[in-house]
Amino acid sequence: MPEQHYEPEPAVAGAAIGGTVDVGVEEAETLEKRPKGRGGPGPRDRPRSLWSDAWRDLRRNPVFIISGLVILFLVLISLWPSAIASGSPLKCDLARAQEGSRPGHPFGFDGQGCDVYTRTVHGARTSVTVGVLATLGVAVLGSVLGALAGFFGGVWDSVLSRVTDVFFAIPVVLGGLVLLSVITSNTVWPVIGFIVLLGWPQIFRIARGSVITVKQNDYVQAARALGASPSRLMLRHIAPNAVAPVIVVATIALGTYIALEATLSYLGVGLKPPSVSWGIDISAASPYVRNAPHALLWPSGALAITVLAFIMLGDAVRDALDPKLR
Amino acid sequence: MLLEVRDLHVEFHTRDGVAKAVDGVGYGVDAGETLAVLGESGSGKSVTAQAVMGILDTPPGRITGGEVLFQGRDLLKLKEEERRRVRGAEMAMIFQDALSSLNPVLSVGDQLAEMFTVHRGMSRRDARAKAVELMDRVRIPAARERVGQYPHQFSGGMRQRIMIAMALALEPALIIADEPTTALDVTVQAQVMELLSELQREYDMGLILITHDLGVVADVADRIAVMYAGRIVESAPVHDIYKAPAHPYTRGLLDSVPRLDLKGRELYAIKGLPPNLTHVPPGCAFHPRCPLARDVCRTDEPPLYEVSPTRGSACHFWRECLNG
Amino acid sequence: MAEPVLEVSDLVKHYPLTRGVVFRKQVGAVRAVDGVDFALGRGETLGIVGESGCGKSTVAKMLVNLERPTAGSIRYKGEDITRLSGRALKAVRRNIQMVFQDPYTSLNPRMTVGDIVGEPYDIHPEAAPKGDRRRRVQDLLDVVGLDPEYVNRYPHQFSGGQRQRIGIARGLALRPEVIVADEPVSALDVSVQAQVVNLMDRLQSEFGLAYVFIAHDLSIVRHISDRVGVMYLGRIVETGTDTEIYEHPTHPYTQALLSAVPVPDPEAREHRERIILSGDVPSPTDIPSGCRFRTRCWKARERCALEVPALAVPEWFRPAGGPVAHDSACHFAEAVSIRRSAPGVSVPVEGHGNGPG
Repeated sequence: MPEQHYEPEPAVAGAAIGGTVDVGVEEAETLEKRPKGRGGPGPRDRPRSLWSDAWRDLRRNPVFIISGLVILFLVLISLWPSAIASGSPLKCDLARAQEGSRPGHPFGFDGQGCDVYTRTVHGARTSVTVGVLATLGVAVLGSVLGALAGFFGGVWDSVLSRVTDVFFAIPVVLGGLVLLSVITSNTVWPVIGFIVLLGWPQIFRIARGSVITVKQNDYVQAARALGASPSRLMLRHIAPNAVAPVIVVATIALGTYIALEATLSYLGVGLKPPSVSWGIDISAASPYVRNAPHALLWPSGALAITVLAFIMLGDAVRDALDPKLR
Repeated sequence: MLLEVRDLHVEFHTRDGVAKAVDGVGYGVDAGETLAVLGESGSGKSVTAQAVMGILDTPPGRITGGEVLFQGRDLLKLKEEERRRVRGAEMAMIFQDALSSLNPVLSVGDQLAEMFTVHRGMSRRDARAKAVELMDRVRIPAARERVGQYPHQFSGGMRQRIMIAMALALEPALIIADEPTTALDVTVQAQVMELLSELQREYDMGLILITHDLGVVADVADRIAVMYAGRIVESAPVHDIYKAPAHPYTRGLLDSVPRLDLKGRELYAIKGLPPNLTHVPPGCAFHPRCPLARDVCRTDEPPLYEVSPTRGSACHFWRECLNG
Repeated sequence: MAEPVLEVSDLVKHYPLTRGVVFRKQVGAVRAVDGVDFALGRGETLGIVGESGCGKSTVAKMLVNLERPTAGSIRYKGEDITRLSGRALKAVRRNIQMVFQDPYTSLNPRMTVGDIVGEPYDIHPEAAPKGDRRRRVQDLLDVVGLDPEYVNRYPHQFSGGQRQRIGIARGLALRPEVIVADEPVSALDVSVQAQVVNLMDRLQSEFGLAYVFIAHDLSIVRHISDRVGVMYLGRIVETGTDTEIYEHPTHPYTQALLSAVPVPDPEAREHRERIILSGDVPSPTDIPSGCRFRTRCWKARERCALEVPALAVPEWFRPAGGPVAHDSACHFAEAVSIRRSAPGVSVPVEGHGNGPG
């Protein structure tokens, strides 16, 4: 154990015995007698916050390490795809359509004769962009509204909660087909906008519930009794304690948003060719899956691993932050 | 001896190391006798009881040694299935929090009746009648009308009575009550304790009462075992201990209770804090807080010295303590 | 009594019970506090005892303005603080601080001890110049018996008793005149309770604090209090000095409460008679008419259902005076010695669990 925190007791709280009235003096004596470096307030005794505890847990969790490495790799290749796939994903040669693995083309070719390896690597950028930006949007919108509803309650809470009920009633794929089919722009933005629009209620509910729970804690009451302003209560006392479940749910949701982008692109309402996306490739490869299964396998494999990595990361973060395990 | 615990050891694996929650505990109860196990949080009093009942969560807990002899059999050697048969039928437990120990979606009548249908193979109708009878026994008013109600419809005191009824259902030889009245108000506490000790006399059961309340102990116990940091530090008949404690920890506890009949200027307070179980001080675990501590206490762990044939104290200087 | 710092009169808190979502209709009220009066002198300790649900915590919350009373007034040095808001309220808050029951939930786990104890100075910057705050926080920690070096630690690194000291240090930061302590030791281990009670005793004389000490543990309340009020179902039923209440209780509820307290003396158990109250506390939504204790009282007669007994010195005790002559809200107030039940007091031994016959 690298960090042994306290000794029998953290050198504190001597209290008056019998006739000794001055607790402070008693205290000071206890401290002086304690050998240095054995749990007393020495240089080794760094303060620990819950976040640093969580980080300590995460660093030792193999699930976190594996998923973290996968995600790091994904982020790197989506920033610099050419580093490992120098060709253009749009350079295709119909003559080589459906060909299998060749030297220099490890994943083979798809139905249009494009290099599957290059397209899979370049497709990561779309997925990561959509996943990250949609999650940010959802988290910001959902948690701000949720926090306000949970903190102030009353009419706004009722109205917002009913609005989220309406959004929960919209079937995601059907909604995507209807809303996105009228949009002609072939960028990631409509997809991100759609996911934020349908995704915020989930975070809203988590944030609202979390704020309501935290609000009832005595430390919030204590700050109120001191005369703290609402913004102080919110920013200093409630938000830091309510944010953990939002982070966990958002991390897991990130994976599902990547899958959702692929689904929408597969259905032809997300991104459209010539954009590069795993969803487009999966869609394009599915008609001739019998002749060229590799063209389907690689992009769907990449998608599955990515989604799984984010969900596993979310799980690991939850385990580390769950106060019940502390 | 109805139940005898010998040299029990239980460890917990935590992120800060191995915690010796129970470190060589031994005690015994006879039929019709009340043993109070007194200790603060973290003293190992509840963990010992859980090990006896066989409801210890493993992991993180682990029984690393000792024997639990119940009517002559070592329970720790029994298979889980045999153990289950002992539990409930021959020994039963009452918990502090009755609301969370009862199933909120089943009526109390169903929960009581289940004891009879499962363990005794009674018909539903007979079991139901038995349930009403039990509720009468623990003096729940209008038992027949209330048998179909759910736990949340009862007050705290009434729920604790239902817990007692469930524990009594199969007429066990031993009841372990873990802080049974801590969550209750003083006036209700008195009702429940009285009921419990009355039923104990009636059924001639052994009762292990786990508590931190010195007042409750004085009211009902025959013997007391005081626990500190996973060990028994003093074990004695109730009158002896209150007259003259033979361990400085017991003395400190007794002196620090403000009493209605003695209003002084300042309370006696035991200095310091109970130890962290992953880093129990060497020698006598109580030495950093003990007014009598000397060098030997920092190095040698005191055995349970025999103070009298019925009394033991794990203090090197028990004579000094006994004489005040 | 010394000049009062706090005067509470006819304090009431009702929580409405409503039905319906759109058209809310009040169908009743939880009468948590239902007419409480008391005064607190400078440097004095008033103990308030009562069982769960008697409204003692609601009184505490109203005193520190966490709840607004439905009716009644709380005067701090003559000024009714229930009507204040904004700047004036903030100024009053400096003088009335609270210590909470549960040291595990009353400290923000994401803040260091230094930030927690120093927060009062952030909220009331006029109380301490900025450069001076760290030193003040360390002084406060020292005063409550904690090592001043611990300012950078987090609450979860401390035990319950130490956390309660941190909570007390926070309460002291603004040098209040009144501290409202709601069950400050009930969540602590027995051996640590005495440490905290002693600390509060010492701080009282050091800083001239007045305490409202709320607890269900009668022994601790007696130890620390100069005067005691006994609450039942939202009202004070008996009040007096600690000797008057503990040695000469005249209200049957107080008598029952005192007799139920387990005494750590096994010798006493043979010759001590207990008044075992029947039944449970009625719901505060449905308070009995007349005397609210009558449903559990062995003395109850017709008059008790019709007439609300006033909290005053019963007139039959007035001529003689002495310790029995103190405020008691009972039509049939009677002096008993609680160690042995006096002749004439029928102690129901049989038939608990049922209402009075």
